[in-house]
Amino acid sequence: MAGPAAALPDPDLPDPEGPEGTDLTAAADRPDLPEAASRRMGESAFTSGLTVPDFAACLQMGLTPVGYVQGSCVMQWRWYGYGGSPYGLYGQWGAPAGQGGGYGQRYSCPHGFVSSEHRMWGQNMEQPWIEDAWRSGFGAACGRMVEEATDLGAHGVVGVADSWRPLTDLGVLEFHVRGTAVRVEGEPVPDGSRAPWTTYLAGQRLAKLIEAGYAPVAVVAAVAAVRVWASCITQYQAGGSTAMWGGQTTGSEITQVAEAQMAVRQLARERVRGLLDSDSLHGAGMVTTAREIGEGDADLECILRGNRVRRFKEFEALPPPRPTVRLQ
Amino acid sequence: MTDRQPSAGGEDLRAQVRQAVASLEKPPRHAGRPATTDLSLDEELCLHAVGWEPVDLVCGISLFSVPSGVWSWGQGEITWASNAFMQAFAAASNRIHHDCRRAGGHGVVGVRVERAIHRHHIEVTLVGTAVRPVGAKGGPPTAVFLSDLSGRDFALLEGTGWEPLGLAAGASFVYAPRRSVGTVMRQTSQNVELTNFTEAIYSARETAMERMQRSALELGGSGVVEVKITEGPVSFAGHAVGFAAYGTVVRHRGGDQRLLRPQVVLPLDDAVQGFEATSLRGE
Repeated sequence: MAGPAAALPDPDLPDPEGPEGTDLTAAADRPDLPEAASRRMGESAFTSGLTVPDFAACLQMGLTPVGYVQGSCVMQWRWYGYGGSPYGLYGQWGAPAGQGGGYGQRYSCPHGFVSSEHRMWGQNMEQPWIEDAWRSGFGAACGRMVEEATDLGAHGVVGVADSWRPLTDLGVLEFHVRGTAVRVEGEPVPDGSRAPWTTYLAGQRLAKLIEAGYAPVAVVAAVAAVRVWASCITQYQAGGSTAMWGGQTTGSEITQVAEAQMAVRQLARERVRGLLDSDSLHGAGMVTTAREIGEGDADLECILRGNRVRRFKEFEALPPPRPTVRLQ
Repeated sequence: MTDRQPSAGGEDLRAQVRQAVASLEKPPRHAGRPATTDLSLDEELCLHAVGWEPVDLVCGISLFSVPSGVWSWGQGEITWASNAFMQAFAAASNRIHHDCRRAGGHGVVGVRVERAIHRHHIEVTLVGTAVRPVGAKGGPPTAVFLSDLSGRDFALLEGTGWEPLGLAAGASFVYAPRRSVGTVMRQTSQNVELTNFTEAIYSARETAMERMQRSALELGGSGVVEVKITEGPVSFAGHAVGFAAYGTVVRHRGGDQRLLRPQVVLPLDDAVQGFEATSLRGE
């Protein structure tokens, strides 16, 4: 098998002047792409983040690595908008929860006025500014990776790996998305009018996906964030005191937190479904984190991501598996 | 596992890659609610092979409160904590059932069970993929099943003529009674069994296993497979031990027992026995 882009200049690889006479190495039309990146990608050696088995499998599929493409973005969010104050925007006299159009639930106190420290209200409220900031950061990093792949004349990006972590300061998060740009052997060089497809899969897993009749479309990720302002009942439950009252012998469900936990996952799933456009999501991973702020008060965050795939052919289901026993 | 051989990586696979990429130029053919799943592709292929397909990612969560002070002093079982676990598991199961029915699933496979024991509450989270028979029309059946079996194990179970019914769980938290001062003094420099802890573990184990079995019978099952167990001390309570178990309740569909009759294979790719190069020199 012919080697990948190591054999440059390759007639299949993009002309530095571009297929339409566009200078693919110039950064003028691509403000997100640093000049150094353009220079690096103009070199003749290809780079790849694939393992050797994945690399070999990609060659077998007719996918030629053309470059290790990366996108990064550092986001800061300091403005906690609607409902973000410790007492919400309206506090106990509050406007209906979720007024901004997102999820919201109110929980009222059954006791009436007890003291100024008594939480007479509680609410779960979606935190759209956190979601927007996360989406902006991830979207920008992913978009920049795709931009590099487009610059390389790639048809797609395989083996995508993403990461995000706090950077130096509270409220600052860095996003990185990386993958290996590939070209499909025998296909004309893309003219850049269409973004390359992307997938977390590579190697044999990608081969199996295609054999099963699915085409990779894009990596998709969505985040949902919900803030819990505990009502007095939730505070008592979280502090371990409410069930002792009245001689109960069994605990009670912390309904407000359970509903917030369900809601944050439901929101993430709805967001992802909104990105699928009738395609399917495979190999999804759902990660939920809860940051406790006080008794019952918490920030919940759910991140759901996976491979958006499209069925391109009907495939015959495998025959019923035949069990085997190995002799060693 | 199957008669069908994957294409040997030649032109067939390359043609399929080109076909897949070309399909992206057109809008998706499939219309309707998109399917989402956290199953691996292998698991999905196994499910397809026995006539099932993924529908949606579904979940159920519940938290039950535990009052202050119950972990520290007392005798016998810590009823508050045991009840909180059992109730949280039941409520989370109800929610994932509801989620599955809403998605049009006939059951849930690959359920991941996450449990968190805190001083003042116990949390149970269930996340899995709702599935249905391939091409099923209409709404879900009245009873949907829950199972923590992987796609492969689900397919194997189907092959034997058994079916999953639900998840059964049992838990118990028990005090390990404090030793008397005299006993502590006497045992200070001895290697002895701490019978108070051993007995507490046995007590928690038997109660939890019995609860799980009772739960399986209530679901109409005849057994539980893939039982997972967690046991040991409670991190924030020095004299409490806990035991929790859960698994998939199964029942035979009826009719004759089907045997898998596995085919014996002798792989030819056994690892080569290594040798030390120094042995060539007779060392």
